[in-house]
Amino acid sequence: MPAVLTVDPRSGVPIYLQIIEQVKRSVALGILQAGEQLPTVKQLALDLTINPNTVARAYRDLERDSVIETAPGRGSFVRSDGVGNSAKTAAADVARDALDVGLREAKSVGLSRNEVRELIDVALDRWFPEER
Amino acid sequence: MSTIQISNLRKTYGSLVAVDGFSLRIPDGTVFGLLGPNGAGKTTAFKCMLGLARPATGEILYDGQPLVPETFARIAYVPESSVLYEWMTVAEHVEMNRRAFPKFEPARAVVLLGEFGVDARKRARTLSKGMRTAVMVALAFARNAEILILDEPTAGLDPVNQRHVLSLIINEAARGNSVIFSSHQIGQVERAAEHIAVMNRGRLVLEGQVDDLKAERKIVEGVFPGVTYTLDGIAGDPRVARIDRTERIVRLLVVAGAEEIAARLSSAGAAGIRILDLNLEDIFLYAVSPADATADVVAQGGAA
Repeated sequence: MPAVLTVDPRSGVPIYLQIIEQVKRSVALGILQAGEQLPTVKQLALDLTINPNTVARAYRDLERDSVIETAPGRGSFVRSDGVGNSAKTAAADVARDALDVGLREAKSVGLSRNEVRELIDVALDRWFPEER
Repeated sequence: MSTIQISNLRKTYGSLVAVDGFSLRIPDGTVFGLLGPNGAGKTTAFKCMLGLARPATGEILYDGQPLVPETFARIAYVPESSVLYEWMTVAEHVEMNRRAFPKFEPARAVVLLGEFGVDARKRARTLSKGMRTAVMVALAFARNAEILILDEPTAGLDPVNQRHVLSLIINEAARGNSVIFSSHQIGQVERAAEHIAVMNRGRLVLEGQVDDLKAERKIVEGVFPGVTYTLDGIAGDPRVARIDRTERIVRLLVVAGAEEIAARLSSAGAAGIRILDLNLEDIFLYAVSPADATADVVAQGGAA
């Protein structure tokens, strides 16, 4: 598990957001499975050599987003209750953020809404040919 | 439990003002990084916190109480320069600390010294700069202190031992203890510290949680079609801390609301809007760049 998560502390992206993004990706990809236990806050902080409160903050946000749940005294686990449907939620979160970055870039270089829509249609045909 | 409140601290050495109206609240159980250029007043602030220097004005309270001898038992300090006795061996320093501090754990000190590769039989005068740092760090972390004040605790250490010091700091934080440290290696502060403060010329110039500062402080960049354009309203926005202009390109340092300011820059006619992240080194360098120069660029931006 620790090998799955890496952070780049020198990046301008807050470390807790990097952890959230990576856990969501790992859940979406099934690297972390429903019911699987995450490292403790202290263990992950020591493994990554980062502040434990930063890890705790990431875990709190992952709980709020229904990706993980924490049982007092037992640890944090990927949610498996079906209610949160954590893998699907996590996948959508990761994809939305990536799309957002792309769309902002498209707008900033001066494309119109219709031009962006054409680009998206082309991209959809390329990546989802079977669902045309 | 040890919240530290520093209020209006001022310390002068003759005509030199080392610390000038410095106020800071350090929450309990946090890792706090103190950054600043050489001569910014970090070491003097630490000395005042420890009662090793007497401030001209101001006060420092630990959980609302002034520093009393009992408080010292809860604080371990690693000074910037060596305080080892040159003629004593490392093992004798361990014994001296055992006698001086009731909660000191000699066995823990021996383990830590071993981890740093220090030969305890050596006399202090034969140790390199890095090894002296390692000895002082090992002695401090064996104190079972609730508050560790570390002035450049990785100075002279190789990268492996530097990382080891960070692990020790993180371990203390996980136990709920407070660590306040300074370092010129911003990457270390970026990893280990939850909160930071930046000092410059004796004053506090920036303070906050590292991740919040990174989330809020951004460069918003835009490119205008011609060299003549106005930044109506944007230049006067208090969230815009600085404006740098290179012909048609405008770069704004914003301290909050990057998305909104990017939208306003777009409305003002700029294209190619980008929001750029800043790491702690960027944030630090902006914080210590002269305020008058910053005011100047903002004024130019407003006048255009």
